[in-house]
Amino acid sequence: MTHSAPHMEKPKGTVAAIKKLLGKDLVSVDEANGELALHVKRDALVGVLTQLRDECGYQQLMEIAGVDWPDRDPRFEIVYFLLSLTKNHRIRVHVTTSEDVAVPSVTGIWPVAGWLEREVFDMYGVLFSGNEDLRRILTDYGFTGHPQRKDFPLTGYVELRYSEEEKRVKYEPVQLAQDFRSFDFLSPWEGADYVLPGDEKVIKSNEPPRGTPPQVNDPKTTDKPSQTGAGAAANVEAKKRTVRKPKAVKE
Amino acid sequence: MGVIAQTPADASVPDSGFFNDIESEVSDKGFVVSSTEDLFNWARTGSLWPMTFGLACCAVEMIHGYMPRYDFERFGIAPRASPRQSDVMIVAGTLCNKMAPALRKVYDQMSEPKYVISMGSCANGGGYYHYSYSVVRGCDRIVPVDIYVPGCPPTAEALLYGIMQLQRKIRRVGTLER
Amino acid sequence: MNLQQDLAPTTGDEVIENYTINFGPQHPAAHGVLRLVMELDGEIVERLDPHIGLLHRGTEKLIEYKTYLQALPYFDRLDYASPLAMEHSYVLAIEKLLNLEVPLRAQYLRVFFAEMTRISNHLLNIAHHALDVGAMTPGLWLYEAREDCMGFFERASGARMHTAWFRPGGVHQDVPLKLLTDIGEWLDDRLPRLFEDAMKLVVDNRIFKQRNVDIAIVSREDSIKWGFSGPMIRAAGIPWDIRKSQPYDVYAKMDFDIPVGTRGDCYDRFMVRVEEVRQSIRIMKQCLSQMPEGPVCSDDRKIVPPKRAEMKQSMEALIHHFKLYTEGFKVPAGSVYVATESPKGEFGVYLVSDGTNKPYRCKIRPTAFSHLQAMDFMSRGHMLADTTAILGALDIVFGECDR
Repeated sequence: MTHSAPHMEKPKGTVAAIKKLLGKDLVSVDEANGELALHVKRDALVGVLTQLRDECGYQQLMEIAGVDWPDRDPRFEIVYFLLSLTKNHRIRVHVTTSEDVAVPSVTGIWPVAGWLEREVFDMYGVLFSGNEDLRRILTDYGFTGHPQRKDFPLTGYVELRYSEEEKRVKYEPVQLAQDFRSFDFLSPWEGADYVLPGDEKVIKSNEPPRGTPPQVNDPKTTDKPSQTGAGAAANVEAKKRTVRKPKAVKE
Repeated sequence: MGVIAQTPADASVPDSGFFNDIESEVSDKGFVVSSTEDLFNWARTGSLWPMTFGLACCAVEMIHGYMPRYDFERFGIAPRASPRQSDVMIVAGTLCNKMAPALRKVYDQMSEPKYVISMGSCANGGGYYHYSYSVVRGCDRIVPVDIYVPGCPPTAEALLYGIMQLQRKIRRVGTLER
Repeated sequence: MNLQQDLAPTTGDEVIENYTINFGPQHPAAHGVLRLVMELDGEIVERLDPHIGLLHRGTEKLIEYKTYLQALPYFDRLDYASPLAMEHSYVLAIEKLLNLEVPLRAQYLRVFFAEMTRISNHLLNIAHHALDVGAMTPGLWLYEAREDCMGFFERASGARMHTAWFRPGGVHQDVPLKLLTDIGEWLDDRLPRLFEDAMKLVVDNRIFKQRNVDIAIVSREDSIKWGFSGPMIRAAGIPWDIRKSQPYDVYAKMDFDIPVGTRGDCYDRFMVRVEEVRQSIRIMKQCLSQMPEGPVCSDDRKIVPPKRAEMKQSMEALIHHFKLYTEGFKVPAGSVYVATESPKGEFGVYLVSDGTNKPYRCKIRPTAFSHLQAMDFMSRGHMLADTTAILGALDIVFGECDR
């Protein structure tokens, strides 16, 4: 470990104890970057977190985060961050869910989860069954959409303006004076496996993408000496041209 | 005819000659004659009471301005908590969609003549948060703005300069109506 | 208020319904843009529903569209009362993903300025807490000390508030020696004088105690259940400080005490912050005496851009500079949660990287979120005027709460 981020020791036997405790509810354990992450089954979440709190000593729920992975099948990942004040250790508990499947609420275990779940609901549209106060929390009253989803545009769909005619503040479709400039820096130099911006104008459907070498039926190779063109015949030809008279220089 | 009370043309330090004239006039006759417009402008510029509309980071700089180091009260600028008592609203910070109706309501509650100073790049035009889905791209979409103070955040000195520019603007326009 | 006359045949038997009032969103004691919907029975708070999000700026979404370095200044603007403490979590999270070593001097400088941020944050909070319960003078004096802090930040980074001075791999620029000696003198003389003078006015003041002692008592169990951290959990009697228990940078080498409250009321929270200022002064003095010479930034040119002088001489440095300020650096795929002890409590950053130059997801764990949520049960049964004291003791800044 060379970085200077907060340093904590994993108590000995934690993983084994958790594996034994959770049994079938535990899908996988992930230990990367010195952090312990548990992937658990969604339906068993309340039981798992209660066990972790009461029997493993992870007393505090610090945060609930949502992550949107549009390519994965259960699209959303909900991450619970637990902290043990007595063992001085943190773990993360991951569950996956999709738009129409509710996650069991943990407000019964930690009251702090109320707002944290409201925030995840607001940002991702993930439902929590058992949370009685699942209102929007951060976005405007009457907001539509869930802004942290990857398919929600950064600038949103509407913007506010005061209307002199109606004497009130009202929403209108968003109109930007200058578009948000997003640059693709990922692989401009070498052959990218996708069409670079602007290239779609050049490429026709049947042509190979630009930058790839043209296809040849009879590839030229020089594996054997005979293929190089060297040999007796070449030597004769070479000798012919070695004798060359210098051109006379005109006065 | 007495001396017409004329405020100095620029917004720099009030010149002593002007005050000496007035003082001698008052001590001599016991009154000063002036036009109502000048009197009103003098009163307006001399006690600009801002509404404390601290929204975000700029609010901290605004508070620093009211505190002893910069002491805006030297210029008659005393923060008021109620829109009914204030002349100028300093929009200090990012104006978000959820807050915008409240801002407009407070502005509507202020009594005429009223002025607005937009403080910081977020209030000026969205700034660092311009492309966000929840930020009003400039508070001039909601209320008419008189003075824009640039910076992220503008220092307390910059805000003071902005307020003095507003005083100058009030003098220059110099009408009863606004 | 609704007087139901038909139910009240004699005077004195009027049935008065609870009524609801709006506190904010524009209120000088709301510490920003907070809207509290309060249900009152007379002057007793029955129920309290904080409406937040009035400063929701979509920071987390914007960060996903910026490179790692471009996203750094957003952290300054989260908790604008303690900007450097916010950067601290973020740069540590990046360094943890990159497994990047930071030179010792940079670690000392970070701790040094993080503690100065803590002082300036607490000065602000103490001043406003006192102001909210009616004490004006301490605020005027403490702001003078805070103004000094801003001056020091400006001398170190060029900006009074939003410094963007902590960078992945170290700090942006070295500080001049004169600045360190000036801060040393300030710590020895001016700050303690101003601070202790101001504290003399409030800590034993009868009115201040009447307004704060036994207001909003939070037990240890409640403070754990409601996800408290920082001065809030310490005031409840739990000696939990991430600087001590999970030390980062050079906090492990520092000798300081953790103040702990005994009753868990607003007065304890206030006093914990007062003592933390004194402890921060101790830490800063230790930093000054221990700080070594040396580089202030990692020399990994794939992450840290070269200095301008170097660029004038070296072609390679020029290329690195160009690449780092256009494309930025790439962070290996993975996810980390890094929480540091910000002046207000645990400020965490959950950073998910997909191996590109932009964060895939950056979840910010604000301190104020869970504290403000507990406001409901803390205020119940108290008077309306006590809510300002409770709110002042929570130490809330909306830039961070709403993001």
